[in-house]
Amino acid sequence: MKKFILYSITVLVIAFILPVKTQAIPAFARKYGYNCNMCHTGFTKLNDFGQRFRDNGYQIPGQEGKEKNVFDLAPPLALRLSFGHTLYNNDEGTASSFNLYGLDLLAAGVLHKNISFLFIYTPRIDEPSSIFSGLDSINSNPSQFGRLESANLVFSNIIKDALNIRIGRFEPGYHIISSKRTYYLFQPYEVYLMTSPRNNYTFDDNQIGIEATGHFQGGFKYAAGFTNGTGASADNNNYKDLYLSMTQTLGKGDGQSAGQRIGLFGYYGWQPLTLPGTVIATNGQTNGSDNKTFYRLGVSASANWKTLNMQMIYYLGSDNKALNTLDATKNYKFNGGFVELSYAGFLNNRLIASAMYNWVRPPSYDSDSEVNAYSALCRYYLGDWSAINIAIHAEYTHRITGGATKNKENVFALALDFAF
Amino acid sequence: MQKLLIYPVVLILANSMMLPGQEQPVKPVTAVNVHALGPQKLGNLSPVVVPPGNPQSSSKILLGKQLYFDTRLSLDNTISCATCHDPAMGWSDAGPTSTGISGQKGGRRSPPVSNAAYSQLQFWDGRAATLEDQAKGPIANPIEMGSTHDVMIRTVEDIPGYVEEFKKVFGTSTITIDMVADAIAAFERTVVTTDSPFDRYVRGDEEALTRMEKKGLEIFNGKGHCTLCHWGPYFSDGRFHNLGVAPTDPASPDEGRFVVTNDPADKGAFKTPTIRDVALRAPYMHNGSEKDLDAGIDLYNKGGRVKDANLDPLILPLSLTKKEKEALVSFMKRAMTSTNPEVSGVKPPSVSDLPK
Repeated sequence: MKKFILYSITVLVIAFILPVKTQAIPAFARKYGYNCNMCHTGFTKLNDFGQRFRDNGYQIPGQEGKEKNVFDLAPPLALRLSFGHTLYNNDEGTASSFNLYGLDLLAAGVLHKNISFLFIYTPRIDEPSSIFSGLDSINSNPSQFGRLESANLVFSNIIKDALNIRIGRFEPGYHIISSKRTYYLFQPYEVYLMTSPRNNYTFDDNQIGIEATGHFQGGFKYAAGFTNGTGASADNNNYKDLYLSMTQTLGKGDGQSAGQRIGLFGYYGWQPLTLPGTVIATNGQTNGSDNKTFYRLGVSASANWKTLNMQMIYYLGSDNKALNTLDATKNYKFNGGFVELSYAGFLNNRLIASAMYNWVRPPSYDSDSEVNAYSALCRYYLGDWSAINIAIHAEYTHRITGGATKNKENVFALALDFAF
Repeated sequence: MQKLLIYPVVLILANSMMLPGQEQPVKPVTAVNVHALGPQKLGNLSPVVVPPGNPQSSSKILLGKQLYFDTRLSLDNTISCATCHDPAMGWSDAGPTSTGISGQKGGRRSPPVSNAAYSQLQFWDGRAATLEDQAKGPIANPIEMGSTHDVMIRTVEDIPGYVEEFKKVFGTSTITIDMVADAIAAFERTVVTTDSPFDRYVRGDEEALTRMEKKGLEIFNGKGHCTLCHWGPYFSDGRFHNLGVAPTDPASPDEGRFVVTNDPADKGAFKTPTIRDVALRAPYMHNGSEKDLDAGIDLYNKGGRVKDANLDPLILPLSLTKKEKEALVSFMKRAMTSTNPEVSGVKPPSVSDLPK
């Protein structure tokens, strides 16, 4: 523990005294000449304006058709990378490593008035290692698999503000609190990952499909969509999963960095028991049969006071008993959520401090899936008036899993997280 | 792309031809509507674009200056352009709104003439497309200069000194309102401020801004959301926004740009003014309802003063801390205030120097 403290103090002290200056600017900031905090409370979390910008198809509200499109600009490419040092500890001992945590290659911009796109590719990082002897038995230890995380077109303002369509692979609108734009690099929103044994739908995944969104002057927003529900893969049945999300913001703001926001969301899907089915099409889709239903139903809230934000999600999941290999007589029901408190300090939000509690409550016969995780982080941003795009990131999580037998883990990481 | 490359070259050539005292007309430069391209980075101002129909010359600029300061253009010889656009008051006036002939009060704050040459449209509601068009407006406005164009022209024609100068500049002794407007606009195109501490900082002088001012610039371009509208070298998008400003008369609010366009989306929207030299011209907003910079920032920080169904979607509460507001004020107060002697030192010609 002493080592932990000494280590963190040393790095933070160095971080604060280093006169680092950079010209690195991510794609949108580069396009407009703004620094990151125009759209982010501190990157990666969007503030109210950033949210409106995203909702408006990456166009500044009111400037549709008057913006530089991708043909007026250098290729709108950006990159985000994080790396650092991790100390991991559980009942069996401690592991220490320098790591590459994540790399995103991004492209986004406006193609024509009210038509924009987003593309995010995450390449595999870490080389396969023949001497790796960890939990994964395939002699590889990728901390990130290669995948096309997002690839979508947005048709905005089909009905002004009230109807926008997103098609492709995208982050569904029921992610009212985005796991893609959280400050936390190491601690996921646990309940987003929770599912029953035979259901391969994950709430956290970006999905392929079509989504309609809209926002209204009174602070009401909706998102509704149809998706495969299979992440990046082709569909595994002929049913399309569907969802609806609604939020209402009270007071001025959009609830990200000002105003108070409450929300409801629901997801209804089908999961086949028989795979692949009788038809396997050229693009990989199958007509898997014996489809069983599942749903997710939740509430969200975000409250703001000055530069303090509290956001939470609570949801219930229920998967048909046919998907429940642990007790085929009952639907698999679980619930969980998280509460996250974040503070932005120093001039232009150069400092972010946050604490978060995650919990997952599975059915009693699956108590190994129970999770309680307590996390805290501190991010300090470097840069100048034109770009604030490097974060020195310290994060700690104490995670307890299991029911009768508790497993305890501690993760402490110091990282550099930057984008340009 | 070719156009983009040619444009700066033409500007540089045009600028080099505008040497003081030179009489030869400057080669016209086609105006490019930079504001159509969306947000531009903050930076140094380019040379003023001179419209092809009104080339600059030193005698025209001098004539324009005399007209600008001459109260005889008003009906009762009490009001000149400079009365409301006073060089000593940041080319605006004490406000909150302007006072015209017979002590009549206008409904809006006097917009600054300095750097107005960079504005795509003139007046708070953009009803004039050019400086020339703008210059004609107040003369015939019953509560500003209270005259008519015909009356004013007769007045000027009765002053032999002016007749002689118009003949020298325009080659004819028949004076028209267009000539008067051209001359005033030519003078106004010389009222350009390019040497603020911010300009020096952007040119590479790291010491030009204090630490606090640098922080203010950072907030201006980030959390403060100022550059959403106050962008580019002119620090204005030239567009119209409803900021939720408290109306002077809530029973009859000023409808702003709507009066010009009849577009309901423009109700209560006013043109974005430049931030250059902003500290010289309190109070702020189209009706002067914010007494100083602190109050102006407070309006934005709250996401507008009043609820307005037409509030611009860019206006959102900012959660600025006290220190952040201080940094913003610090940036706008000194770092955006120019020291161009040719502009800040402009003095009205003495009465004896005006044509007789």
